[in-house]
Amino acid sequence: MNPQELFPLHILQRAGRRLLALTGLLAVLALVFGPPASAAVQAPHSATGKTYVIGTDTTFAPFEFRQGGELVGIDMDLLRAIAEKQGFKVEIQSLGFDAALQALQSDQVDGVIAGMSITDERRQVFDFSEPYFDSGVQMAVAETNTDISSYEDLKGKTVAVKRGSEGEAFAKSIAGKYGFTVKPLDQSATMYDDVKAGNSVAVFDDYPVLAYGIAQNNGLKAVTEKERGSSYGFAVNKGNNPELVQAFNTGLAELKASGEYQQILDKYLAAPESAGKSTFWELLTQSLPALLKGLVLTLFATGLSIVIALILGVGFGFLKVSRRVWLRGIATAYVAIFRGTPLLVQAFFFYFGLPQLTGRPMDVLTAGVLTLSLNAGAYMTEIVRGGVQSVDPGQMEASRSLGLGYFKSMQKVVIPQAVKIMTPSFINQFVITLKDSSLLAVIGFAELTYQGQQIYASNFRTGETLLIVAALYFVVITVLIKLSNILDKRFNK
Amino acid sequence: MSKIHVAGLTKSFGSNEVLKGLDVDVAEGEVVCVIGPSGSGKSTFLRCLNKLEDITGGKVVVDGFDLTDPKVDLDKVRQHIGMVFQHFNLFPHMSVLENIMLAPVELKKLSRPQARNKALELLERVGLASKADARPAQLSGGQKQRVAIARALAMSPDIMLFDEATSALDPEMVGEVLQVIRDLAAEGMTMVVVTHEMGFAREVSDRVIFMADGLIVEEGSPESVFGAPRQPRTRDFLAKVL
Ligand SMILES: Nc1ncnc2c1ncn2[C@@H]1O[C@H](COP(=O)(O)OP(=O)(O)OP(=O)(O)O)[C@@H](O)[C@H]1O
Ligand SMILES: [Mg+2]
Repeated sequence: MNPQELFPLHILQRAGRRLLALTGLLAVLALVFGPPASAAVQAPHSATGKTYVIGTDTTFAPFEFRQGGELVGIDMDLLRAIAEKQGFKVEIQSLGFDAALQALQSDQVDGVIAGMSITDERRQVFDFSEPYFDSGVQMAVAETNTDISSYEDLKGKTVAVKRGSEGEAFAKSIAGKYGFTVKPLDQSATMYDDVKAGNSVAVFDDYPVLAYGIAQNNGLKAVTEKERGSSYGFAVNKGNNPELVQAFNTGLAELKASGEYQQILDKYLAAPESAGKSTFWELLTQSLPALLKGLVLTLFATGLSIVIALILGVGFGFLKVSRRVWLRGIATAYVAIFRGTPLLVQAFFFYFGLPQLTGRPMDVLTAGVLTLSLNAGAYMTEIVRGGVQSVDPGQMEASRSLGLGYFKSMQKVVIPQAVKIMTPSFINQFVITLKDSSLLAVIGFAELTYQGQQIYASNFRTGETLLIVAALYFVVITVLIKLSNILDKRFNK
Repeated sequence: MSKIHVAGLTKSFGSNEVLKGLDVDVAEGEVVCVIGPSGSGKSTFLRCLNKLEDITGGKVVVDGFDLTDPKVDLDKVRQHIGMVFQHFNLFPHMSVLENIMLAPVELKKLSRPQARNKALELLERVGLASKADARPAQLSGGQKQRVAIARALAMSPDIMLFDEATSALDPEMVGEVLQVIRDLAAEGMTMVVVTHEMGFAREVSDRVIFMADGLIVEEGSPESVFGAPRQPRTRDFLAKVL
């Protein structure tokens, strides 16, 4: 699921206050399992006047993607135009492709429009509208490249494709014949960067995706005609909402007849001359709302994780200086496991692995915070152990000799001194955890880096977008370090 | 009945036997000085008297409490035994006053205002009333040790243990600390004093114990031990240090 939808700002703020009250992770869990999707509306005879919940993908430019926080794209524009023509309302939920299909099957949404190819398999579980878009694979090369204009020119070269796409299937089917190598990559933006960097000479991608990228000045040009491919359709659950499919088909026919259909397509797919490259300043103002939203989530997840990590660190840290061997053993094992494995592996494990073992799905915020706090907790444990052990043992002895108990002595004599020693390391760990939170982008956690990736996935301005993202991290971290140092000076004089 | 009763005390660190069976009795109001070469086990012996070290074998009975009995509340017993360390071990994050008030307040022996008055009184006694609000780091070594003594006295102990209280001090500061200990002796405090200051030991003690290699080699009145040592090891040691 797309976490952007689940965690609008006000929920974060509410959760933030609970964090102060230290109800921590549990509160977040409760919030996460909170929002239910609306139930399906029972089929009336006409769609007019009804409101339908429609599921879609998170980012699949040019069909659906965010621009200034708003969901736009061919799918979105078509759907809204049809709804207006046919007099029904739509409530769009950006769930992600797989989640949208699951939601449709369980009637949590009434329809799905997500650049979905009409296939025989899908026909068995869904009812499709008339095709609203004909896709197909097309080849593109770098704008400056004049050597390659046909499949024949690819001999001995490498081409980039998107893993699991029709482009990959097509490229592989002709690779033998034309003698080129196929290199699968995960994202469109990465493929285009690969071609521009010269690592691959050409890319095979879905024609609309490619056309949109070229329209956005991604630095490529199409050099072949598109191969005949699949058609996209709007879907409802089998047997449900027939009037909605009916209305969609009627509306689509009207849009085609009036020319509006072509206008919408051109808006996203027309040649670059019409689009014109926006300035860096425009990019900044357009991307900032989404990036700031990501930054808030980054700070929230980091803050929450650090608090939990601190509790873990103090708990395990004291186990580590305990006199009982088995207590020390528990803490040592914890630290060894979480310091001895990569954070990325931990994130994958909590998000994908653990739910498969327990049968209980875990949302991305919980998995993200769990990963960060357990990981940082291991380092905190070592910081606490080091801090406590660096306090002169004579301090403990003097306190015990006065008749104060072990825990009183820790509390009044050892810990205040240890905290002073540990503070710089705490600040350091805080900054590390903040930066580590960017790794959670890989599980779709909508923090700052993820938001950046979403933006350059639709505008292809990788370098500039990443510069803005980096600058945001830099500013926030610098400010945080300054603040921490001021606090440190004030309390640990 | 003796205030401190030690019988057959042994102490090992791993396989290293540091105390090899000590028998000592200290009467109420008695001042016992322990002397001996470095590594002979003087500190270890002293630390067994309030069980800062685990006791390997034998018996240590203080104020009627058997420290080797696991049921004895050590924290309670320790409240009656003040200890002064070679390196002061003042709490650096607290003011002088807070150092002294900590135990009486935390252990609910005195209310805060009472503890404060008591602390000021003790500071007066060790001649440091003006340093109440200073931090330990702002004091000289001799001043630190006098604060440490005041801190040890805050719980009104009836036994005081000193472990080379003047060894870490510059020579000109030794006198001020010894004077405080001398005053305590004059007031009738029961004390065990480990020291390298032979002149002081001779002057202040009722009894001197000479230790070597984890054993008591010789003990007796200061006149006999310093004036007419019977054991060759005692004579050797005194010849070197005097
Ligand atoms: N915590 C410890 N672990 C292991 N061995 C120890 C420990 N404390 C003391 N020892 C050993 O016990 C022996 C006696 O030490 P102790 O400190 O009691 O001697 P001391 O008579 O006080 O010497 P000094 O005059 O140098 O203070 C020494 O050999 C020392 O190395
Ligand atoms: Mg010693």
